[in-house]
Amino acid sequence: MNGNRELVEREEASTASLALVVGLLIGVAATAVIATAPVTALIGQSRAALAAAFHGLSAFLYLIVGTIGLYLGWRLLTGRIRAFADLQLLATVSATLSLIAIIFGNWLYIFYRAKDPASPRSWFLENMPMVHKIFFEFKEFMALFTLPLTVAAAFVLWYYGAQVLDRKWMRYTVAVLLGLSFFYLVIAFGLGAAVTKLRPA
Amino acid sequence: MMTKLLEDEPTVEVAWTPLPGLHQEAGPAVAAILSAMLGLMTLALVNLGTQASKAFNTWVHGIGKLWMPGAEGIGPYSGKETLSLAVWIGSWVILHLALRHRDLSLGRWLVVFLVGIGIATTLLWPPVFEFLTGH
Repeated sequence: MNGNRELVEREEASTASLALVVGLLIGVAATAVIATAPVTALIGQSRAALAAAFHGLSAFLYLIVGTIGLYLGWRLLTGRIRAFADLQLLATVSATLSLIAIIFGNWLYIFYRAKDPASPRSWFLENMPMVHKIFFEFKEFMALFTLPLTVAAAFVLWYYGAQVLDRKWMRYTVAVLLGLSFFYLVIAFGLGAAVTKLRPA
Repeated sequence: MMTKLLEDEPTVEVAWTPLPGLHQEAGPAVAAILSAMLGLMTLALVNLGTQASKAFNTWVHGIGKLWMPGAEGIGPYSGKETLSLAVWIGSWVILHLALRHRDLSLGRWLVVFLVGIGIATTLLWPPVFEFLTGH
């Protein structure tokens, strides 16, 4: 009987219903936020507020997609994946979000390293030089690793399609690319969040 | 019952796949991973160069300023990104064209890729590049 239930659920879980549920949840959350907090307070009032908001948002979305991609990559590695189509799409979305997060990160970086004594970089060098010299500098490079790795994973998944499933090293390669990109994402995300917590731009 | 139902379903959903039965050579996959590695190795080596030489640092910043919006504020990082991107995409095109009909051992090249990525990551760890450049 469990099998019957599982099958029915799969048939009903269409993309349209998923989009509807996600849209509804976002709508409810947005309504609650807008009704209870001014948007300016939500984004912040510094010159870098918009860049920081978009950089953080894209990185956070990428973290969610990357986590699912990591799981599907593991299923692919072990040869027990069914949602191969989802993995193809997720790898593409991951690559796109990586690019968006990098572009907004570049914009935010202008405020971070401004020659103003109050800029985060100036403040760190004055008060906590290791935070800039080690954490930030490592983070800014590690974030760039995610783009070529996710693009390569998406390329292999689309170029070879279902052939990936039957070729052991092809499966391993995609899984390694997704696993590594997640590793670099977590480094960049964690250090970025820590630096922002210490001194927002 | 459960086993029977699962067997009746298509095993895997696929968004797109080449013609069934077609075996595509591994060369393009090797080109994709090697070019990613070369791009990231470039990032690590260019960063080493900018730490070692002020003139090179200025040149790298100039490369970023050629095209990237806000490069003046972003600094030499813009040039490092540009050079890494150029080597990644450029080497991918060249390697793809050169390897697209070759069925290479993907396992062997995956090991090369992993070693390269490991070296690039190590070279970009600030205590390492500062030690290597005498800072």
